[in-house]
Amino acid sequence: MKKRTRLLSFVLAAVIACAGLTACSGSKGSTASGSALASGTKSRAQDTLIYAQGADPRGLDPALVDDGESAKIMVNIYEGLLKYDKDSTKVEPGLAESWDVSDDGLTYTFHLRKGVKFQDGTDFNADAVKFNIERQLPPKVTEDMGYASFVYGSVKSVEVVDQYTVKINMKAACTPFLNNLAMCLGAPIVSPKALQDNNNNVNEHPCGTGPYKFVSWTKGQNVVLTRNDNYWGTKAVTKNVIFKFIKDNSARVVALNNGEADIIDGIDATVVSQIESAGNKIYEAPGMNINYMAYNTTKAPFDDAKVRTAISQAVNVPELVKSLYQGYADAATSILPTFMPGYDAGIKQAAYDVEAAKSTLAKAGVKSVHMITYSNPRPYNTANGQALAEAVQGYLSKVGVKATIDAYDWTTYKEKVKAGDYDICFYGWTGDNGDPDNFMNLLADKDPTMNVARYNNPDFKALIDKGVATPAGDERNKIYTELEKIAAKDAVWLPISHGKTLCGYRSNVKDFYYHMTGVVFLSGVSKG
Amino acid sequence: MSMQHAELPKSEFPEQTADLLEKPESRLKEMWESLCEDKAALTGLFVILFLVLVALFGPLIMPYDPNLSNMTKSFIWPNSEHWFGTDQLGRDIFSRVIAGTRISLTVGLSAVAISLTIGVVLGSIAGYRGGKVDTVIMRFMDMMLAIPSILLAIAFMAALGKGLDKAVIAIGFVSIPEYARIVRGCILSVKENDYVQAARVIGNKSSRIIFKHILPNVLSSIVVRATLGISTAVLDTAALGFLGLGVQPPAAEWGDMLGRARGFVFTAPYTLIFPGIAITLTVLAFNLLGDGLRDALDPKLRKN
Amino acid sequence: MFKYIVKRILMLIPVLLGVSIIVFLIMRVFSPDPAPIVLGQHATIEDANAWRAANGLDKPLYIQFVDFLKGALTGDLGTSYYTKTPVTQEIFSRFPATIELALAAIILASVFGIFIGIISAVKKNSIIDHAGMLLALVGVSMPIFWLGILLIILFAGVWHILPSGGRIDPLLQPVVSSGFYIYDTIVSGDTEALADALRHLILPAAALGMYSMAIITRMTRSSMLETMSQDYIRTARAKGISENRVVTHHALRNAMIPVTTVIGLQLGSLLGGAVLTETVFSWPGIGNYTVECILKSDFPVVQGVVLLIAFIFVLINLVVDIVYALIDPRIKFSKKEG
Repeated sequence: MKKRTRLLSFVLAAVIACAGLTACSGSKGSTASGSALASGTKSRAQDTLIYAQGADPRGLDPALVDDGESAKIMVNIYEGLLKYDKDSTKVEPGLAESWDVSDDGLTYTFHLRKGVKFQDGTDFNADAVKFNIERQLPPKVTEDMGYASFVYGSVKSVEVVDQYTVKINMKAACTPFLNNLAMCLGAPIVSPKALQDNNNNVNEHPCGTGPYKFVSWTKGQNVVLTRNDNYWGTKAVTKNVIFKFIKDNSARVVALNNGEADIIDGIDATVVSQIESAGNKIYEAPGMNINYMAYNTTKAPFDDAKVRTAISQAVNVPELVKSLYQGYADAATSILPTFMPGYDAGIKQAAYDVEAAKSTLAKAGVKSVHMITYSNPRPYNTANGQALAEAVQGYLSKVGVKATIDAYDWTTYKEKVKAGDYDICFYGWTGDNGDPDNFMNLLADKDPTMNVARYNNPDFKALIDKGVATPAGDERNKIYTELEKIAAKDAVWLPISHGKTLCGYRSNVKDFYYHMTGVVFLSGVSKG
Repeated sequence: MSMQHAELPKSEFPEQTADLLEKPESRLKEMWESLCEDKAALTGLFVILFLVLVALFGPLIMPYDPNLSNMTKSFIWPNSEHWFGTDQLGRDIFSRVIAGTRISLTVGLSAVAISLTIGVVLGSIAGYRGGKVDTVIMRFMDMMLAIPSILLAIAFMAALGKGLDKAVIAIGFVSIPEYARIVRGCILSVKENDYVQAARVIGNKSSRIIFKHILPNVLSSIVVRATLGISTAVLDTAALGFLGLGVQPPAAEWGDMLGRARGFVFTAPYTLIFPGIAITLTVLAFNLLGDGLRDALDPKLRKN
Repeated sequence: MFKYIVKRILMLIPVLLGVSIIVFLIMRVFSPDPAPIVLGQHATIEDANAWRAANGLDKPLYIQFVDFLKGALTGDLGTSYYTKTPVTQEIFSRFPATIELALAAIILASVFGIFIGIISAVKKNSIIDHAGMLLALVGVSMPIFWLGILLIILFAGVWHILPSGGRIDPLLQPVVSSGFYIYDTIVSGDTEALADALRHLILPAAALGMYSMAIITRMTRSSMLETMSQDYIRTARAKGISENRVVTHHALRNAMIPVTTVIGLQLGSLLGGAVLTETVFSWPGIGNYTVECILKSDFPVVQGVVLLIAFIFVLINLVVDIVYALIDPRIKFSKKEG
């Protein structure tokens, strides 16, 4: 026994000695590496853009994911038949050079670009388009294709006319369909061969026609893309792109200022001066979203528009937005973001008026309200629902209403919203396709997890249906302005803010922009 | 059993069988006396008393309502009006740190009360009964110990939802095994003592033997463990709060305050500093006291 | 001895089975429905029902559990609801990062803890001793995440000498074979990547190791003090052996026995602490990921991870027990053997 003890203590001592050595060499390495990094990686750093975002993509198959982090990466790998204009949500030719819509709006014919190849070398043609759309139509569609019914829900069938012509037949006229085809989720065209090779799931093996092709994805760390040298259009300027994942906002700022990243997104205005004083720049992009507070219109006292208006009057929205989002969001006056067709600057919600609110609420006998909210930050509300609810709680106390708050994580929250036990809830919406119907329809939806105010107004619904079928143009836009007016008069929601996207980038990064649909096209960005 | 269960080294709980033969009352008194000589432990005790006073009379000292947001005053640096500054929603951080004292102490004490009660009952049964009951209970405790307690607490909170009461349950529940193990260990060593054997021979009921003869003897180690347990519970509460799983808004919980301050570390570092100091101070105080109690309990260390 | 080990290993089976039942119950009975998160903002109630049916969540609980067990026994832990990637793949792409971090933390903690502990014991009641003990006290009292943020602010934000988070500069793209970057870069001879990986490791390992270091420091100190008061040490001193030699040759060896055990036990508890450290440092490990999956109700991943962690944890405990039994002659495995 004694011998064994001695042997073991010896082994232990050796282990500790080794540990000590490792630690020492570790610290030595760290002092030396500063210079090593500078010389060794300089050439590689020149032709690599590092873009730091908050989280891993969910996956890289456009039919299977629903999140912004995935979309930002995917738009550089894939393309759709159509794409958005750089500064708006107007559609432009993408993989389709041109298209015709029949007068009744029931047939769309797309003329495809010729000579385009997927990154795996296979040809892009009408069969590929048909394959991609039918993948998301019954009977092939699976229940976890989150965007299939949204993008292609109105499609009846797809026909291959010839190698470069595709005809899509619709179930009913649907004006937003063209916009849907420019979306970064659901609509991008994936190589049919890649899908067949990977069991209909290219989350980790993306293959499209875009300017960059996929190299690797190290979970929790980064996704690496490299230039597609066979790209049909203008080839990417910078050879490599790395999407790096840094969860914490302030850590992303540190990474930018330390030179660990070239571009970062998802920051707030409190760090702008810190970024600028380090010699870096700020890019501000409008956001296609709405952050709002909704009243439960099916439950007393909020089945009464007067009470709803009074609560809306109690909240000083511009002040709230300024302090809570620190310039990261614009105070909302309407449901639609300002760049959306149908937006009208003349629309106003109930104006801030403490006295009017007080007297109405006192008359109606409203002394307490029950608010529910979410505890995670959301794309439209980076300060998270809890802080927003607390801010509103402060305003309500000034008009004599005591608000209680129940906060839940997002998954539970959706269940609570569905259950409907609340007076006021906080919610938001990230636009999908840049069409006004995508926003206004939320007040007409049958599903209470969409229409959280549980608003049920037949006139409103009729107008919505009319809007979907009306061809794009002024007449259609007027319908949405009218819908906005109804919603404001009825005080169904209190629109709070349209979240902006703030990006920081290093001063040597050129031609960077962030699209309002929440994605970044990096093929034109260079590093001087 | 042909093999003795190889006990984990009781590094924190030195052998104490010889000691246990003394009368429990005199032992506690002795503990208290030697505690009074221990400066560090006394400091801890005074800090705890101070924190308890703050928790009790907090509402009287708070200059502002800790929960009421005021958007006109967001992010004010510490000044004469707001000693610790204000947070994003314009709430006075000094008042919130005070309000947080009550929350942290409440969660700490109640969580320990839960784990202590259940742990002592389970541990006593296991230790006293032995055999199959012991095996079943202790295997169950092993299962719980095999899952990192913070993960278990997070899963509980995700399932139960946010809230002070739920945090108490989650944190209390995950530390049951520690108490059960200690109590069982102590009982195993006390059980064979003459006076317990004697009580059994006289024909006392098991429950009576446990409560009358055995528990008072393991009391001192439980007191030590519970004191240190409060500091762990305070840390766990803060961790849950930091991950956004703690209390319901607008309650001022230190960890929750830290979690929210995280986005503003460079622009408003004061939002991060004060709640962190409060947590550290509280945990430190309970650790000092717990250490002092442990030293007081162990005659070998006392000599040093 | 052999019999004892076999018995202990057999005892792991009910423990692991129990752990899976506990996790299974917490997740599937009490946790929120995963469907809304998996399906996104356009999902209708019908979509959610269809998805639940497709994933077997409408079956009775015991059937779900049997299905899970059947899979687990064949090494198939299912597929993540959220990413549609096999759970084993998700776990093993992140697991080496956590182990590497935990090992680095325990090495840092042991080296500094033992060092400070010895100095404190030798120079008892000196300023060094008091400073060391204060550090140890504060070390166990500071929330790990707070310490982590403070370290990031200082070393990355203010002084710009260490990276703020992550495992390695993405430009370096080292050749990865095992997933342990330190090992991989040494094997492939990539010194630049090795240096960078070490640089990234320092802050998170320091934050994570702080608590363990404090515990080890205190253990070393008290164990050293106890050993130094033993008779044979006095004899050695009386023989005129230099104090240095007494400490290094006689006291240290015996004082290290309980310290070893503490180090082993700390290694297990580091897995829990890694959850918070990884969150703060964007460390691509299993802890951070598990928390996200718990909040997303990604049942298969959570079940898989907890089972794995529990397995490692009980394994470490087993090894610690055995090692302790080997080096401490006082513990007997059976009356006969003793």
